[in-house]
Amino acid sequence: MTNMSNLLALKDIEKYYKQGEIQVHALRDVNLTLAEGEFAALVGPSGSGKTTLLNIIGGLDIASSGTISVNGTDLSSIPEQKLSQFRLFQIGFIFQAYNLVPVLSALENVELVMVLQGRSKKEREERAKHYLDIVGLADMMDRRPSALSGGQQQRVAVARALAAGPRIVLADEPTANLDSENATALLDIMFKLAKEEQTTFLFSTHDPRVMDVAHRIITLSDGMIKSDELHFQNK
Amino acid sequence: MDQKSHLPFSIFFMLAWRNLWRHKRRTIITLSSIAIGFGLTVFSIGMQDSGHNNMVDNAINMGDGHITIQHHEYLNSPANHRFIPNGKTLLNNLQHEKIAAQIVPRISLQALASTAHNAVGAAIQGITYDTDPLRDLLEKKLIDGNWLSPEKTNGIIIGEGMARKLKAKIGSKIVTVTGKKGGDSESHLARVQGIYKSGIDELDKYLIISTLDYATQYLVAEGGDAQQQPLTRIAIFLDDDKTMKKWKTILEGKYISPEITVLDWEEMLPQLIQYIVIDDLGAYIMQFIILLVIVFGIINTVLMGVLERTREFGLLRALGMSKRYLVTMVLLETLLLSCMAVIIGWLAGGSIHLYVATYGIDFSAMIPEGTTFAGTFMDPIVYSELSMERVFQLTIIVFTATLASGIYPAIKASRIPPIEALRT
Repeated sequence: MTNMSNLLALKDIEKYYKQGEIQVHALRDVNLTLAEGEFAALVGPSGSGKTTLLNIIGGLDIASSGTISVNGTDLSSIPEQKLSQFRLFQIGFIFQAYNLVPVLSALENVELVMVLQGRSKKEREERAKHYLDIVGLADMMDRRPSALSGGQQQRVAVARALAAGPRIVLADEPTANLDSENATALLDIMFKLAKEEQTTFLFSTHDPRVMDVAHRIITLSDGMIKSDELHFQNK
Repeated sequence: MDQKSHLPFSIFFMLAWRNLWRHKRRTIITLSSIAIGFGLTVFSIGMQDSGHNNMVDNAINMGDGHITIQHHEYLNSPANHRFIPNGKTLLNNLQHEKIAAQIVPRISLQALASTAHNAVGAAIQGITYDTDPLRDLLEKKLIDGNWLSPEKTNGIIIGEGMARKLKAKIGSKIVTVTGKKGGDSESHLARVQGIYKSGIDELDKYLIISTLDYATQYLVAEGGDAQQQPLTRIAIFLDDDKTMKKWKTILEGKYISPEITVLDWEEMLPQLIQYIVIDDLGAYIMQFIILLVIVFGIINTVLMGVLERTREFGLLRALGMSKRYLVTMVLLETLLLSCMAVIIGWLAGGSIHLYVATYGIDFSAMIPEGTTFAGTFMDPIVYSELSMERVFQLTIIVFTATLASGIYPAIKASRIPPIEALRT
């Protein structure tokens, strides 16, 4: 699929969960690799398993069977405590609902993960300011989320995800709540950063604009990968 | 950078502080209720301790001191013939003990006091006219006549109630009669030298103060040797009541004999101890209820804060915050809340305490003159008293209770699975 080295490898992933009395087979025999610096989109109808797959890759959920390796770490065998550390140092999350901490300013939100990582105050301040500058919020660093628009909040979330220096950024419908202008601007920023910093991006999305910029489009249906295609855009 | 999560205390503190003030009104209401509850507890404990201390002080001063040395059977069966035969030697020995205290000899007698008009049961307290603490208490309560003097050894001081019953005035003759062991009686003539009004019925109707010489006659009649200075007891009034147990142990080691025993006021006045214990128990129940209100106030505030932030906790966990940090953060919120509440509570309760400690509260309308409790009395004006021990005790109890009340919300927060929390 790609000539770059594999950062992520999923093998025979199955996921079952109970919804009331019914057992749902959310992922079926998922095999997937993702290379460093890839900008990939996970598409498919609602309920196809996109978010479940992202959660498993991000260590937020555990696969019922199969193996998952991220940057050489086998997630299926590590305890809960280590999973927190794995997420802290390896994964950047961008959520559909922005999910910023309301009592922290934009700058503090971006710094938060770096604080947990144990970076020095100087380093985290420099990095946070740098990424906020990239996402165009240099003059709004001291604002709290309630004083920012949806688009601005999502930019803070992008800055937060990237400033921590993750190997993979998992973005769950990041543009779903944004208007067209904000969505395009945000995608441009993410694409640029992925390219510059060789960070791997995996999006779950319905947004055709994301699909337009993605290197690779993985289509899920009923928990199975239906297609996995390289996609070359003009950017 | 090692691969472990870190959260400096300053960040913890900042997060906890800001989280507390997300809902200003709710936090202020909770803070106020805790502070009022705590302030009330401080005030009520100050008043209660003061009342108890006052009653104990009065009992000690009107009674027989912090430590009493007397015949070993006298406490259970007070009779005139149960006395210390060689009081002089014992008194001399005690005065060499270097006790920071007033050491006074006393003779207590059960007697009948009669005039031509009437007769009443009485307790004669024979004292050294000038050094006994009873003088400090009763001389200022004299409503007629003078205090005892060495020239008039048969002079006595009686209460206003007894004077009324016996129709006695200053200079009146009163015959005091005691029953001797074996059935005989011993009587002597006294003259009223002063009349006091303590405001305590039991004293005013019953207690006669005489010189030691006058009372000694009765012990001599019981077989005592006047040269040996027979005494009913030696009362020790310590300068520092905290040294009581120490001195009691020392004196027990040296002076206990088959005839003599050493008692402290707690043993002398078990009914007062019982009264204080029961009164304290009532107060503890009240304080427990107040504490329960405080605890539930905190649980309510913190738990609501936790439940409202389920999604945020999920996010923090997703971003890599460990469960331990999440628990610490919620506990810190509780700690901050309780710190503020205790400070405000101390300011409120402490201010009232300081005011009442200075100016007192007059309970004379509620406590009629002459009311006694468990054999002693309480001054009608009560000045609040709080010992450092109480201050620490209260603070630690409230801190522990409030911190404990944060445990459940904190654990609840840490157990929220991030994936489910993010779906909320």
